[in-house]
Amino acid sequence: MIRTFLRQETTRSRFLGVLALTAVALAITFALPPVADSELAGGAAIAIVILGLSWLIGWSGQISLGNSGFMAVGAYAAGIWAHHHATTPLVFTFVLAIVAGAVSGLIIAIPSTRLRGPYLAGMTLAFSAAVTPIAQNFTSVTGGEGGIFMNALTTPGWFEDLFSGPNAAINANAQWTADLSVLVAGISFFFMANLFHSRTGRAMRLVRDNDVAAELMGVNLSRTRSLAFMIAAAYAGLGGALYSLLQASVRPETFPLTLSITLLTLMVLGGIGTLSGAVIGGIIYSFSANLVAHVNSLTGVNPTSNLGANMQGIIFGALLILTMLFAPSGLVSLKNPVKRIFRARHQVVEPGEVH
Amino acid sequence: MSAFLSSSFMHNIFGGVAQGVVYSLVALSLVIIWQSTHVLNFAQGAMAMFATYVGMTEIDRGIGYWWCVIISVAVGMLLGGLTERVLIRPLYGKPEINPIVVMVGFLGVIEALAAAIWTSTTRNITEPFSQIYYHDHGNLVFVSPFIIYQVILALGIMLIIAALFRFTKLGLQLRASALAPEVSRLLGIRVSRMLTIGWILSAGVGAIAAVIQASGSFGLFPTDMDGIFVAGFIAAAVGGLESPIGAVAGGLLIGLAEQFILAYWSPNVAPLGGIIILVVALMIRPQGLFTKVAGRRV
Repeated sequence: MIRTFLRQETTRSRFLGVLALTAVALAITFALPPVADSELAGGAAIAIVILGLSWLIGWSGQISLGNSGFMAVGAYAAGIWAHHHATTPLVFTFVLAIVAGAVSGLIIAIPSTRLRGPYLAGMTLAFSAAVTPIAQNFTSVTGGEGGIFMNALTTPGWFEDLFSGPNAAINANAQWTADLSVLVAGISFFFMANLFHSRTGRAMRLVRDNDVAAELMGVNLSRTRSLAFMIAAAYAGLGGALYSLLQASVRPETFPLTLSITLLTLMVLGGIGTLSGAVIGGIIYSFSANLVAHVNSLTGVNPTSNLGANMQGIIFGALLILTMLFAPSGLVSLKNPVKRIFRARHQVVEPGEVH
Repeated sequence: MSAFLSSSFMHNIFGGVAQGVVYSLVALSLVIIWQSTHVLNFAQGAMAMFATYVGMTEIDRGIGYWWCVIISVAVGMLLGGLTERVLIRPLYGKPEINPIVVMVGFLGVIEALAAAIWTSTTRNITEPFSQIYYHDHGNLVFVSPFIIYQVILALGIMLIIAALFRFTKLGLQLRASALAPEVSRLLGIRVSRMLTIGWILSAGVGAIAAVIQASGSFGLFPTDMDGIFVAGFIAAAVGGLESPIGAVAGGLLIGLAEQFILAYWSPNVAPLGGIIILVVALMIRPQGLFTKVAGRRV
């Protein structure tokens, strides 16, 4: 019964679906130890970025290798603001990061949306590669190599009162950051769930599958593609801001090119163009450090050795290749209950034959 | 005359050309692959880096510089051929995003592997030629034997590739299978073998770029080729991805532009120089400066 109800895909059903998932995630944060809580918080931030990327690739058929760059833009916007105005409400910082991300996305989109696949990928890669040196060079604004330090997220008094009694087994700070991140992610996911099925979402799919037909139906191609880019960049900006707020600092080396590869891997691994794929990607990210440590201990590799330190890069790159070659629809394509709840109509990128 | 050669303007010209030929080589290698298989190889720079590291390991065992160059190029070619056979072949006919994603994954694997095997510290090959600038009546002329070697090696490789495509039977087959694979197959050309050969040639050219980079004073580190790849891609894209001459010209343009932005504008802006050129070039001619206008690609 519930399943048929959820299949109707109304705004209300999507709201309830995301709400249920958020509630489950919140409940889980209370069961987890503080260390796992902060890992989960990072995963939630990354899930937001993955969702944006998933939307861009899965729904608009455009590829971006520059999402670590958009993350950096959002993170620096939030960091620079929070550094100078420590008392502004958090919501404002997030809005600022979203706007900064969207603007940077638009700037990249204007020349890029006239490009197809490889050109676009190269263009965004060039952007992402330029971000780190720029952050290092403009010392007066970005703090250079050292970056910017922000105040750590402060736990509100009521939350502390509620959850840190003298005998409380939970750390109120870790608890608060995890819950906050899950909430922000939940809201982002709700918006995206609606976007998938909105007029824009449908136009986007048409542009992806058959741009000539889309143009004939009156869809403005370059505007639609730019919009997709802006939204993806806004999500990356928000995720980047949250990610750096959790670390209480923004530094150039937080956003290397390899982060773009990691994001792509997690997105492909979870499943392109789906909400649940982004959730899975975020969860995998949360526990990737443990996962890599586990592989190291299984294979008897010393984690402080060269090989151990680079194990994550090797595993993520190999996973990306293997998934793309053998299971391009990602983990979501495997039967699971999450998939049935969040059934997206199109789960695999199959742009109509390009060229 | 000698005062002119010693001016900072000429300094930038020489420096720009020296860096530009490296970009040109990478751009050329991208164009060769693009022409044969319509894949933009995002792991091109990393593959070249890996091959050069293998060569550098051998040089540590006491072989000469030229053996190191030959080994690096041979390893690069082997890697290129294997990559086409194993990673790219299953993806023909799939959406164009798939090979991009796979090569990005390969880029990650190679860079992490190189860092795991050889650490991420910078290494260089003992310079085969002096880096000391020539003197002309007491004035420095900003050309060193190394710069001359670098430019001649790069130009030599480009000429060899051009001659191969233009004058040999293999070159004719390569061009035919890129242009009309079906017809070529009917005429008895083994198209799939041509695709592999295209990748082998391209990876060899790329390896030369990494060898030059490693021979210079800056040396090579595992992620070093990322920036060079981006510059090479921009050069190829400005030239239109289809045109080898465009790629070479684009490489020189990017090299010179970087040098002049660095010298006359601001080092802070230098990382953006390539992107600005790409954006401007694509605004003017989205299909590239050196390609003939085709019909609308649907």
